[in-house]
Amino acid sequence: MSKSIIPMLVVAAITLALAFPIMILLNAQAAQRLLSRGAELPCGKDAIACAFNLRSPVVPAPNQLLEDFPKAYFPPTDPNSVPYHAFFTGLAAVLGLLLAGVVGLLLAVLLTVSRAFEQAVLPWLVASQTVPIIALAPMLVVVLGSNGVQGLLPKVLISAYIAFFPIAVGVAKGLKSPDPLQVDLMQTYNASASQTFTKLRFPTSLPFLFTAFKVAMTGALIGAIVSESSTITDAGLGRLLSENSRASDSRSLWLVMIGSAVLGIILVALVGVVERAVTPWRRTRS
Amino acid sequence: MIYKTKDPNGQVLETIALKDANLEIGEGEFISLIGPSGCGKTTLLRLLADLIQPTSGTLLIGNKTPKVARESRAYGYVFQAPALFEWRTVRQNVMLPLEIMGYNATERATRAEKMLKLVGLEKFARNYPWQLSGGMQQRASIARALAFDPQLIFMDEPFGALDEITRENLNLELLRLWRETGKTIIFVTHSIPEAVFLSTRIVVMTPRPGKIEKVIEVDLPQPRNFETRETPRFFEIATLVRESLRHGHGYEEAM
Repeated sequence: MSKSIIPMLVVAAITLALAFPIMILLNAQAAQRLLSRGAELPCGKDAIACAFNLRSPVVPAPNQLLEDFPKAYFPPTDPNSVPYHAFFTGLAAVLGLLLAGVVGLLLAVLLTVSRAFEQAVLPWLVASQTVPIIALAPMLVVVLGSNGVQGLLPKVLISAYIAFFPIAVGVAKGLKSPDPLQVDLMQTYNASASQTFTKLRFPTSLPFLFTAFKVAMTGALIGAIVSESSTITDAGLGRLLSENSRASDSRSLWLVMIGSAVLGIILVALVGVVERAVTPWRRTRS
Repeated sequence: MIYKTKDPNGQVLETIALKDANLEIGEGEFISLIGPSGCGKTTLLRLLADLIQPTSGTLLIGNKTPKVARESRAYGYVFQAPALFEWRTVRQNVMLPLEIMGYNATERATRAEKMLKLVGLEKFARNYPWQLSGGMQQRASIARALAFDPQLIFMDEPFGALDEITRENLNLELLRLWRETGKTIIFVTHSIPEAVFLSTRIVVMTPRPGKIEKVIEVDLPQPRNFETRETPRFFEIATLVRESLRHGHGYEEAM
């Protein structure tokens, strides 16, 4: 773990080094436009110096983000803080993932067991994922809202809608992937179909399952954020993002964005923790 | 009995034709099927094990059809690769057939322990397969095949992927297991020394169509050991097998 963290940090450093000049360039241009119109800026007449101190920068400078950070993140229980909203978004995404897991596993089993089911249903599953979620979310919220369903449930459903697909497809592939010799082996034991499923096919599919869950987790998070930003909700990162973007508040926008990224990383890491606990035989393997 | 292997376009790739081939196999015998690649020795073993079915005709093991033999769990099968389940420890792998066949927990534990001792893996019971060498993995797979105590064991080139030294050691081990358990073993190989060393009889097969060329009696005394490989009789029999293989091969080229 500690060995793998150093290369990651190197990449992060390179990314920051590349982003820094872009930030200066974009903000200096904006400052230059203001100065040429004769605006009085507190940072003086130098566009480069002003790049770090614009009131509404194109890209917030690191010093500005650090300055705003404590107010936006602490205390986490404050209803206006990023962590508070992130909790509700994360909750919706995790519940969405769990729902998607149930539906996805069921579909995966049916897809593997029945060729007819696969032929009839798989094209529709693919089609379901071509509908842009941003177009679907408001519709779903209106339909649910007219039936008195509000708050968490619409978000969970939209998350699950995105997340079930990679799970269904990934697990179906895993269930079909045992070594042919191992299938023959079960045959020589005269094992029943259900024994072959529980003792061979399902364990074989576990690595595929967890890869699928990691992909689905990020999908579920996107679903939660999109549904929050396209509807009226009490809390959630999506709501913060749309509010701040309407207000052109780039400094807050960036802090929420960073919060979303961290939330995504935490949620995927959580799936990884479950994976390590469930598949111990792979843990020590390099 | 005829079996044809076809490619997806229906082109016949391989044919095995055994007409009235009647091989009386006594209980406790060690029979090797030997022949060049493509002579259908693995296919014949899979037919006997009911993993595939003949295109036409029938074959019997004892007085049972392969299907009946498989359904009554009359045989154990050791594959070319160990085919261990990577999520199970060595011990759990050996217990797999016992779980499927509904043995109770204490029976499973005692049998697994006994089998692991028999193949010399008792110290590795709690290891996962990837932590074992290729030879040890194949030993675990043999223990798994013996665990439910079938009288008949099919072995399909089980040591084919191993180095010569490991292979010779495992050959000796296998003979010891065979002596101690009294199993009937049908063993596929393409190694002449291996076949001569292990077998009580060698069935020489030739290709296109796959058929039995000759059955050679191996009268080397038991118990055999490393010195057996150096006796004149060993070389005589090996030469006999080699000549039968060449005869079949020459026949094929003359066509």
